[in-house]
Amino acid sequence: MAGPEVTRVLFEDFAPSAVRLFYAIGYSAIAVFGYGVYVQIRKYRRGAAIVGAPAGFGAGLLPRFQSMLATVLSHRTIARRDRGAGAAHRLIFYGFVLLFLGTATITLDYDLLGPLFGVHFWHGDFYLWFSLVLDVAGVQLAAGLLYMMYRRGWLRPPKLDYARPDRAPADPDYDRSGYRREDWAFLWTLLAIVATGYVLEALRLVWLAGRPSVWEQRWWSPVGALLAQLMRGAGMSETTGGQWRRDLWWFHGLLALLFIALIPFTKVKHMFTAAGSLMFRDPLAAQRLSRVPPEQKQPGVQFITDFNWKQLLNLDACTKCGRCHEACPARAAGAPLSPRDVILSLREFANRTLESAQLPPEAELDVHGKGPGQVAMETLWACRTCMACVEVCPVAIEHVPIIVQMRRKLVEDGQMDPQLRKTLQTIHKTGNSFGESRRKRAAWTKTLPFAVKDARKEPVDVLWFVGDYASFDPRNQKVSAIFAALLREAGVDYGILYEGESNAGNDVRRVGEEGLYEVLAEANIGSLASASFNTIVTTDPHSYNTIRNEYPDFGGQYPIQHYTTLLLQLMQQGRLPAVRSLGLRVTFHDPCHLGRFNKGYEAPREILRLLGCELVEMGRSRANSFCCGAGGGRIWIADPVGQDKPAHNRMREAAAIAGLQVYVVSCPKDLTMFEDALKSTGNEGRFVVKELIELVRDALNGTL
Amino acid sequence: MKILVAVKQVAALDEDFEIRADGRDVEADFLLRDLNEWDDYSLEEAMRIKEAATTPVEVVVVCIGPADADEALRKCLAKGADRAIRVWDQAIEGSDPIAIAQLIAAVARREAPEMLFAGVQSSDHAFAATGIATAALLDWPHAAVVTQLSYSPGASSAVFRRELEGGLLHEMQIDCPAVLTIQLGINTPRYASLRSIKQAAAKPIEVLSLAQLGVPDAAVGESGSLSRVRRMYVPQKGRAQMIEGSSEQRAARLAQIIEAFAGGAA
Repeated sequence: MAGPEVTRVLFEDFAPSAVRLFYAIGYSAIAVFGYGVYVQIRKYRRGAAIVGAPAGFGAGLLPRFQSMLATVLSHRTIARRDRGAGAAHRLIFYGFVLLFLGTATITLDYDLLGPLFGVHFWHGDFYLWFSLVLDVAGVQLAAGLLYMMYRRGWLRPPKLDYARPDRAPADPDYDRSGYRREDWAFLWTLLAIVATGYVLEALRLVWLAGRPSVWEQRWWSPVGALLAQLMRGAGMSETTGGQWRRDLWWFHGLLALLFIALIPFTKVKHMFTAAGSLMFRDPLAAQRLSRVPPEQKQPGVQFITDFNWKQLLNLDACTKCGRCHEACPARAAGAPLSPRDVILSLREFANRTLESAQLPPEAELDVHGKGPGQVAMETLWACRTCMACVEVCPVAIEHVPIIVQMRRKLVEDGQMDPQLRKTLQTIHKTGNSFGESRRKRAAWTKTLPFAVKDARKEPVDVLWFVGDYASFDPRNQKVSAIFAALLREAGVDYGILYEGESNAGNDVRRVGEEGLYEVLAEANIGSLASASFNTIVTTDPHSYNTIRNEYPDFGGQYPIQHYTTLLLQLMQQGRLPAVRSLGLRVTFHDPCHLGRFNKGYEAPREILRLLGCELVEMGRSRANSFCCGAGGGRIWIADPVGQDKPAHNRMREAAAIAGLQVYVVSCPKDLTMFEDALKSTGNEGRFVVKELIELVRDALNGTL
Repeated sequence: MKILVAVKQVAALDEDFEIRADGRDVEADFLLRDLNEWDDYSLEEAMRIKEAATTPVEVVVVCIGPADADEALRKCLAKGADRAIRVWDQAIEGSDPIAIAQLIAAVARREAPEMLFAGVQSSDHAFAATGIATAALLDWPHAAVVTQLSYSPGASSAVFRRELEGGLLHEMQIDCPAVLTIQLGINTPRYASLRSIKQAAAKPIEVLSLAQLGVPDAAVGESGSLSRVRRMYVPQKGRAQMIEGSSEQRAARLAQIIEAFAGGAA
């Protein structure tokens, strides 16, 4: 049991003026920090109010805080798809937190409880354990920092080179060396604080080697003690130790205070902005986009001040980790889009305009264009809204809603590809993207040897929402016919809406044509209201997403499932008995809107297992599935000639699987995109692209 | 300063249409309605003049048609037209392009614009007559198939180009007020977002009757027209027929047909 004399000296040998000076500098640092925080908060408050927020957004701050804390403490999101960085960040984080708590403990004892109540607890056994824990924390912190330096300096992952696909080298905001300097300054500063802390500890031990209460307890600070042994071994005297300690003490203290003062002005602020961003995460950010409030003058975002405070906070939360940059299918195909650079551009723009004392005139706040910090329409239109960026972001940045909000403004101004404009007009006129007559929507049923019920005319158990591609595209019509036959075989009482069905609007909404989306959603909800059914099934993941997640905002709440779960149930109930095992070597492509958007990963895999297929997963599967390139309305815009396509990239990935026989899809757009990509990548004849529905039919062949 | 733009709500055939009982038109249920494509371009041309002008310019759209033509006018309002006028009376039914031109001319006299734009033609009936007939009735200078126009509001004349056969261009000057019929491709019409179309629903459309325009019933409709539709029909298709079966069966069937066709001559 150590006595109260066992503690650490703080200002021993300091002249009162020196102590006062130190406190003056300390308070100044806190004042600078406070001012910086004020500037940041003023910046966020210059954003728009959050309107059309999901119910309960503002309420439940405590559960939000708890969930943020759980994410931060577990490092769950940081460790994903980058285990090395995750582990190193965990060391840094816990090391830093412990050291911060240590400093706060001293403040509590020395500056608060002591002077106010005469209570001191920072001594004795508590102090010794405190010493040990902090010494270990420092080692952790240093180890994490050194790994990060090794990673940046030697491993050099491409996602950290900050190369921009949306700018040319001659552009004024192409150069990202400022970011690199800041990264290194951050690492070196922290490392210097840790290193000087240990040397300081060692010098204090050398200086006070004569005091048993210090020297005999030295191994409670193992790193400091080791250094002190070395220094004494090298002949350092107690007096020298004391002198050096005083000088280094100032250096260490000033560096630490400088670090604190600069937090709001540098990347260090991610400690707060990332936590805030995580706390206000919208779990359905990409799945359920916000409505345009009727009173809003202009839809979407034109000015930086049109973003709401949460989005502005999102911009500051970015740590440039590059995971979104790596996951983005548009970026992978060479399009001028990197989700990271959209966020960083807008952040630079916000810092330039919204951190100044006076809000600049509106003309300087327009975020659209090719100037510094602005986002070009080519960039916005390259997005597939596949959600890969939102899903992987460790700090809950919601890129897709930001991009769609900016597209809404482009659509309002007609700034879009002529093909897309024509498609939108066609959808408005005919209710489908094929420009076919409404009456032809159910024409594919005429080839069936049986009738399909009209759910508007007679009650059905299951209403099948067919979707545009499955209704009008000849290749997908064949799949629709098989699915109808499967439902009939299984004895499902089902029907369709015939011409009462319109395009579900999922992609129209993601294009940014909110008015047309409202028309489509309301039309479908009206048709569904005229039908009598218990549940909805859809063969189209895009329709599935919007009906499931977005129609409720328009008063349409329905139990809905994707066909994969329905087929699985029917197979498990023995209503669709597979008569033969297919024995195929297959891989499965998770459609964005079924997988990432709605977590429907298991049912299709289970079906494949029941069909006796050997499933070989691609490297990018499930949450990390790679978009076919058709999402976000891009199926209506031709990809530039001569540029790689996401679907080609994906086909090459599949083709690397030895002995692959079938590339299985479960989305009509995927069937179209990948059958095309199969041919254009020269893989025709090596394996085939098939709908899962077709494989189920193949297994049932004798009976159908 | 005012520009009057004459527009039409045209009809396109839906799948599997039926001819009306009187045999003179398609049953209305089978028609899909939309703003005439040419009129999209003439409205855009007027809007560009308005937006480039330093003095106020009013763009007024006029349409001769029943209530469902409001949809076409709303689209124009959504794209930025200031006012919309629709002229209708049961007596107008059956009018030929010249009778329609009478009505547009009456509106033009009432509105007194400096410019009147019309599309070269309508995509459904394709007479390409209404615009030019209006000019004749107003006794205004006119030009057809304009592919490029430079005109500053208030100027006493405008300069424009027309495309002629063989790749020739005609550059002309015309005194105002004038009637120009606008060709596709003169500009890129803007996109009317659904939001702007919905907002335009709240804007008023002025509906004028024949009486308000001072046009007698007899001047329009079939009585006021010198040409009338006698019947509308789908010409009989060729009578090609696929012969199916095995080679022998097909050969036998072919021989049979030839025999029947040639009669006893063979």
